[in-house]
Amino acid sequence: MTKNIDTVFNPQSVAVLGATRTKGTVPHDILQNILDGGFQGVVYPVSPRSPSINGVKAYKYILEIEDPVDLAILVFPSSVCHLALEQCGEKGVKACIIISAGFREVGPAGVEREKNIKEIAAKYGISLIGPNCLGAINTDPSVSLNASFARKMPQAGSIAFLSQSGALCTAVLDYARGKNIGFSKFVSFGNKSDISEIDLIYYLGKDEATKVILIYLEEITDGQKLLEAAQTVIKETGKPILAIKSGRTSAGASAAASHTGSLAGSDEVCDAIFRQAGIKRCHTIEEMFNIATALAYQPRPLTNRVAIVTNAGGPGVMATDACIDHGLELASFSEETTEIFRRKLPKTANIYNPVDVIGDARSDRYNAALAGVLSDPNVAGAMVILTPQSMTDIDEIAREIVRTSAANPGKPVYTSFMGETDVASGINILQSNHIPHYILPESMAAAMAASYNFEQALKIKRLPVEPAKDVDKKKAQKLLKAAADAGHKHLPEVEATQVLAAYGLPVLPSFVATTAAEAAKFANQVGFPVAMKIYSPDVVHKFDVGGVILDVADADSAGKAFEQIVASVKKAQPKAEITGVNIQKMAPHGREVILGLKRDPIFGPVVMFGLGGTFVEVFKDVSFRAAPLDSYAVGAMIREIKSFPILAGARGRTACDLAAIEDCIKRLAQLAVDCPEIIELDMNPVIVQPEGEGAVVADARIML
Amino acid sequence: MEKSEIESRLKEAIARVLKINAAEINSDSNFVFDLGADSMQSVELVAAFEEEFSIEMDEDQALGVQSVGDAVEFIGTLVNQ
Repeated sequence: MTKNIDTVFNPQSVAVLGATRTKGTVPHDILQNILDGGFQGVVYPVSPRSPSINGVKAYKYILEIEDPVDLAILVFPSSVCHLALEQCGEKGVKACIIISAGFREVGPAGVEREKNIKEIAAKYGISLIGPNCLGAINTDPSVSLNASFARKMPQAGSIAFLSQSGALCTAVLDYARGKNIGFSKFVSFGNKSDISEIDLIYYLGKDEATKVILIYLEEITDGQKLLEAAQTVIKETGKPILAIKSGRTSAGASAAASHTGSLAGSDEVCDAIFRQAGIKRCHTIEEMFNIATALAYQPRPLTNRVAIVTNAGGPGVMATDACIDHGLELASFSEETTEIFRRKLPKTANIYNPVDVIGDARSDRYNAALAGVLSDPNVAGAMVILTPQSMTDIDEIAREIVRTSAANPGKPVYTSFMGETDVASGINILQSNHIPHYILPESMAAAMAASYNFEQALKIKRLPVEPAKDVDKKKAQKLLKAAADAGHKHLPEVEATQVLAAYGLPVLPSFVATTAAEAAKFANQVGFPVAMKIYSPDVVHKFDVGGVILDVADADSAGKAFEQIVASVKKAQPKAEITGVNIQKMAPHGREVILGLKRDPIFGPVVMFGLGGTFVEVFKDVSFRAAPLDSYAVGAMIREIKSFPILAGARGRTACDLAAIEDCIKRLAQLAVDCPEIIELDMNPVIVQPEGEGAVVADARIML
Repeated sequence: MEKSEIESRLKEAIARVLKINAAEINSDSNFVFDLGADSMQSVELVAAFEEEFSIEMDEDQALGVQSVGDAVEFIGTLVNQ
């Protein structure tokens, strides 16, 4: 069923069900806010007892209203919302905002009530916002709807704000008002019983008034759909999406049985998926609006080379450091630019980047410096810093910045007028004219970097996923089923290797010996040196129980190693069932990487890649992506790890076979999608050979 | 006590608290949705019923009663105990 989100924001007529005359209550204020906000349509109070409210004729039931009603706002107690909603359905209402609390968030009785209203809404085809929400606002002058209990209508702007928390909305509105930030749409979606952040992302993607989408989320119910929605909207519309996902520290505490499980905590995965989707994850409201205003009001820098103009050396250096920390570079000016600065700035000024116009600079110097850097082809954006000295004509400098920025519309200009009271009116001039302002130069640099990064994120390609054809899905599923039927929680290495082999992953040939004599015989067959590992369904961490001996050089040593391994494991884990010892050809030397997968409860199968070996959990140099994966995403996740230069052949070393790693990741992602019974999987290490020579899986474990 | 007497006295009490005409009150009237009782008035209604029928009602149970007809049943079981 298509959801009537447009009716929520652009109704011709609105009914407020449960309205009262009692001032200071939600039912009263919702109606009053619609009236005060200057709603351009018709509003109908519905109240069981009052013939009129605030001078507007009221109706006992919505069914008594003669004309059609597009949007109903329910402010009745939760115990009777179902009765009101039933009448809305009979009236032919297209969308409802249920403000009332007392649903899913209060326990089992509330869960039942929420289920009931969802059923009624579905029966009549009503789209629902809420319950348990603040309401919705559309600042478009042709609508001007404040259907919320937020105190004042925000000013119109191009930022849309979606929030799961209603109370946060009012704080955000007040914060934004103080900074002259306007909104296009504003909605609190509460329990998201019907319309969710995913529906709203798609809707706002098409909304002409919205340039930037901000989201505050407390819970993600369908990570895969959120990923798809964000990727689609960002790619098709170029609109940035910024999100705060709170509750970062609570989850992911369950004990993990694999390196991947341990490294892929819920917050790390959320971070990675947001990055994959192109969503900028913010950690504070301030950071979110710092970046949002930059993206909403200014063009994005096309390169990472920026200029700083300052009247103070120290803040200029601080801004420079912050730029470098965030991946920006200070542009080198052209000869023409430095020549202009030589002529127009005093001899004591620094005419190179950062341009220091000196503490006694007035607006003429700022103008010369800013116009100069913006006209330089090497500069993609400018940041202006001001500290208030006695001769600093702050307001005029602000006006010059506004004029110079308007004359150079292709490049972003951000400002940081440092201080509080002396700079206040200058800041107001800047913000009123949509020049982003930041109290701290570091925040300004961070916002510039975020804007540049978003421009880069738009270049992320989405290619069709091309599954490998030479896989034996049935064989893998049969092995997994057999292990699950036997009650095993993890697949022994031999079976795990067979599952991987079925998906074309490069495993080493191996044999299971049940006696020392067999060990010597099989070792001869695979060729020396060999690796020998305990084969037991009960042993997960083989090294920890003395269950692994590497580099066994001859048949005699293989027989002895067999006895030693079995004795060690029996001592360390007396109850473990020992099937035998796995004899495997030693993997050749090479770079060790880890590949893994974890089935995340929210985002589904998540694939991990990183620098491998025993210390993988110490270095934590890993990247994640939600499967399925196209070849562009696979390449990006390999390049994303810090130690990528080592794999690519840093400092004259031979480059690894990156194509072999890509192939392994693709096949692993395919296995992850095809076999949902795999909860966690580690391939650690995967030994990568020099370019063109492939990779081999030296050890693997699969958890069910 | 007969149900009809309970219903009649109940409607009078409701009319008094909510300041409405007793004739507007039906047995299937919902206190909140049809009669417009707010949370304060719901508590006042419970107190008025206790006084009218000289009974003591469990507050949680009493506030859970949604319609006039349900209230007649609920009070009936208490007064006829």
